[in-house]
Amino acid sequence: MYIEQLSLKNYRNYEELDIPFKNKVNVILGENAQGKTNVMESIFVLAMAKSHRTSNDKDLIRWDKEYAKIEGRINKQHSSIPMQLLISKKGKKAKCNHIEQQKLSQYVGNMNVVMFAPEDLNLVKGSPQVRRRFIDMEIGQVSPIYLHDMSQYQKILQQRNHYLKMMQLKRQTDYVMLDVLTEQFIQVASKILHKRFEFIRLLENLAKPIHKDISRGVEELEIKYKPSVDVCEEQDLSKMIIHFEEKFSKVKAKEIERGTTLFGPHRDDLLFFVNQREVQTFGSQGQQRTTALSVKLAEIELIQSEIGEYPILLLDDVLSELDDFRQSHLLNAIQGKVQTFVTTTSVEGIDHQTLKEASIFIVKSGEIEWEN
Amino acid sequence: MHYPEPISKLIDSFMKLPGIGPKTAARLAFFVLSMKEDTVLDFAKALVDAKRNLTYCSVCGHITDQDPCYICEDVRRNKSIICVVQDPKDVIAMEKMKEYNGQYHVLHGAISPMDGIGPEDIKIPDLLKRLQDETVQEVILATNPNIEGEATAMYISRLLKPTGIRITRIAHGLPVGGDLEYADEVTLSKALEGRREI
Repeated sequence: MYIEQLSLKNYRNYEELDIPFKNKVNVILGENAQGKTNVMESIFVLAMAKSHRTSNDKDLIRWDKEYAKIEGRINKQHSSIPMQLLISKKGKKAKCNHIEQQKLSQYVGNMNVVMFAPEDLNLVKGSPQVRRRFIDMEIGQVSPIYLHDMSQYQKILQQRNHYLKMMQLKRQTDYVMLDVLTEQFIQVASKILHKRFEFIRLLENLAKPIHKDISRGVEELEIKYKPSVDVCEEQDLSKMIIHFEEKFSKVKAKEIERGTTLFGPHRDDLLFFVNQREVQTFGSQGQQRTTALSVKLAEIELIQSEIGEYPILLLDDVLSELDDFRQSHLLNAIQGKVQTFVTTTSVEGIDHQTLKEASIFIVKSGEIEWEN
Repeated sequence: MHYPEPISKLIDSFMKLPGIGPKTAARLAFFVLSMKEDTVLDFAKALVDAKRNLTYCSVCGHITDQDPCYICEDVRRNKSIICVVQDPKDVIAMEKMKEYNGQYHVLHGAISPMDGIGPEDIKIPDLLKRLQDETVQEVILATNPNIEGEATAMYISRLLKPTGIRITRIAHGLPVGGDLEYADEVTLSKALEGRREI
């Protein structure tokens, strides 16, 4: 899958932009603060209908303007599909193939991207929230049901937390209602957990050989999903539900005392091990980077195996963060099969065949120039 | 834009209705000016009458101009089944079907702790009172298939379990007459979950 054409209107610092891309490496070159990352972000937003940098959609609209528009033509299985996302102060409107999509969960997934930004190097050492976000983003791209379950989960969690708060303040005393909310919560939580286990297993299988390769054969990577409720991944859904029920009946009093939901997928984490040692605590900086890189490369392969096409890869300022060996490993992995966007302040010092064949786009304060 | 006071008041009134913004409100207001006086008076009277003469049925909670409502009064209807819905609009929808011959109970909302609506804020206590009468053998829970509606259905079913009354929940899944290919993934997965043997 690749983008043939991208048009922006009133997006961040771009008033109007229309660029053709090739199905190979596209380098976005420019000084700092010229709008390189904005181009990357716009591609990401076009695919995911939300930004990786901000949760406030209004930030995406150019200063003083009413709306922002991102349009792209995606080539997928040899046919070209127009995608359009309109962001106004009132909300978002998404069109795929000229048809307006009522639900964003229907829209997301039509175009697949994998973003690798400096923040992603934090995947290993950052907070659990970063890792949960990663899981949700990736499963969401290939499973609309998961997106739906996640949004239901958020709502039920809010309802349940609210009710627990009321019980804490003794404004509600009805335990039957709490049981109902708990049952609803467990139903969705166990489904999400099941899907996450499955995803991590697939990801681990793909990341293992990649990691071994990057570490020149000396490191063995393991990825473990760490649920906050003690369930194991071999369990089927009904057993998981029983486990959850037992846990929640035990902690009921404590939850009321604290006024919030103490366990569930929103409290889970992901652990990485290299040669049986936990990377987050015992790994070196280099090991943490290698792990993040292997996971990202595995993700590209995972999407390929789920939807039958490679996603679009966005490398935002990461090449300079990686040493020569990891750089060339990354570039070898994508060579000739993944449409890739790279932002950088200079191409000097990166000596690789892939970059020599790349199209170069030069960004200067909201304008882009390129050679055909 | 400056309007004379009577018309700006009228525009303001129209804007209180759901789905009507300033432009539509202005259009409606100017149309009212061009209507015959009699028609306008009838219109105004209809508004006031609807508010004054309509109340909620003391038995089922449906909107009515007589108490109890025509459904509760109707002796030909089956008194042993009660269908629980969220809104009077849902009763109208069910009645259009002309297949259901039982009673109704309108909850006037669904439980939603976030919006400060607890079980006692909707007509659940009234429902329990109604069920003390032994003629009812089945309660159909027809609340909406979203989180709040589902929580409300589950809550009522828990309360009623000990009474031994048959409790059923309406099915959800594919719309009738639709094509499988047009169903969205979520609906399709619900339909698959609720599959049954034939």
